Amino acid sequence: MNMSEESDTADVMENPPPSNWILHHPTYQLMKNLEVEDSEQLHTAFLVYMDLSEVRHWKEVSCVKSPELQLVLLEAREKEGAPVQTVLPLPVHRPLSHKSIRHVLDRGFPMLLCAVAADSTLVYQRMTDGLVTPDPPVGPFQDLGRRQHRKRRQQR
Amino acid sequence: MRACSQVQVMDDDFSSRRESPPPPHVVGVSLCDSAPLLWRVEDLRSVRAQGLVGALLGSLPRTPRQNGRLGRPLLLLPEEERLLRERQTAAALPARRQDGGGAELVVQVEQQQEEEQQRSYEEQSILALEDRKSALLRAMTSSHSGGPGSGTGTEASDEALRGRLEDLDRSFTFPQSALAVQLSTARAGLSYCPEARAFLQADWPIREQHDRSWDARYQVFRDLRGRGFYLTSAGKFGGDFLVYPGDPLRFHAHFIAICSSLDESVCVLDVLSAARLGSNVKKTVLLCSPGTDGRILYTSLQWSGMV
Repeated sequence: MNMSEESDTADVMENPPPSNWILHHPTYQLMKNLEVEDSEQLHTAFLVYMDLSEVRHWKEVSCVKSPELQLVLLEAREKEGAPVQTVLPLPVHRPLSHKSIRHVLDRGFPMLLCAVAADSTLVYQRMTDGLVTPDPPVGPFQDLGRRQHRKRRQQR
Repeated sequence: MRACSQVQVMDDDFSSRRESPPPPHVVGVSLCDSAPLLWRVEDLRSVRAQGLVGALLGSLPRTPRQNGRLGRPLLLLPEEERLLRERQTAAALPARRQDGGGAELVVQVEQQQEEEQQRSYEEQSILALEDRKSALLRAMTSSHSGGPGSGTGTEASDEALRGRLEDLDRSFTFPQSALAVQLSTARAGLSYCPEARAFLQADWPIREQHDRSWDARYQVFRDLRGRGFYLTSAGKFGGDFLVYPGDPLRFHAHFIAICSSLDESVCVLDVLSAARLGSNVKKTVLLCSPGTDGRILYTSLQWSGMV
């Protein structure tokens, strides 16, 4: 057992994964074949793909090209049987117009914008058509009563 | 004016059956440099009834050193002013003329004050005389009740009383120095503004910026107001408008509206910061743009909840 472990680690030491492993990744190749000329956005889309599939374990993560925006979009389901959602991956310093957002919303699926920073941190924002009332503050609510109000006033 | 005449016609035909609505109140807008201000209480009331909130700027005379509760004038948003103009319910008050108007006004005010004082003096002298008479009566009757109760005595004292009352009537003067002067604290200047219903397309000074961003803001304002929302400015939240589902005195805002044209690009970082701020204050960020067919497109931006 010890011997095999040692040989395994020896293997790893001798054959580290290539530094450009991303370029060899099958999904990356798939995305590249979509022929979106924006290589930076391609890279961003790949990072979001990895996050969704490997970290968050979303299902059926696939990539699709948006002809109007010339970008790679991702489609995925959060769980088995959940509705399909569209994810728009963008580098954080990119300009974005309301028109582009509407293009993605027009696809008809719930939309997420994923902003990726230079250090690969990702943040997701939900975008919905129409006016979505925010969640009300969480209760239970307590009437403070006069004593508390007087206390606060004196403190001020 | 057209609206008024229509109302008149309705009145004649259906006076018995239908209550015709009163012609819309026209508010008088004073311009201070380019800021549209409302000074009169009925104007403020009318504007609030139309669902426009504005912002109070003035200090209250009785509580001057605080910012929590402010008084008149009310500053209108440029969008609110434009909406009032389009509904033809706002008129520009004539700017006060430099010399002529001012002097006339002062003379007018002085005259009115003198007349009021004279009236007050006359009233007060009558009241003072009555006061003196009743005091005299009391004094006489009390001394009378203390004194001998013989019949002849009362007659004599009655005569004396009548005599003294007549003397009082003849000789009583109310000294000017004893006059109680009433100072009215209401602003005398406001009620002297003449009603000026100058319709305005020609008269309104050209202050507006004819750029697309202003137009986009106005379209969004008008659309949301038409849907029954109340809007105020959202400088504190980095947006264009705060959108309330009802009167701001009763509700918290639900949305921070950011208006732009469809083609206008913003950095994704800015979108992120707006969304983050919105979620911190429990409001949804609303991206609003006028669409091609005259409708307004709204996109709600919310925290995804994905940690």
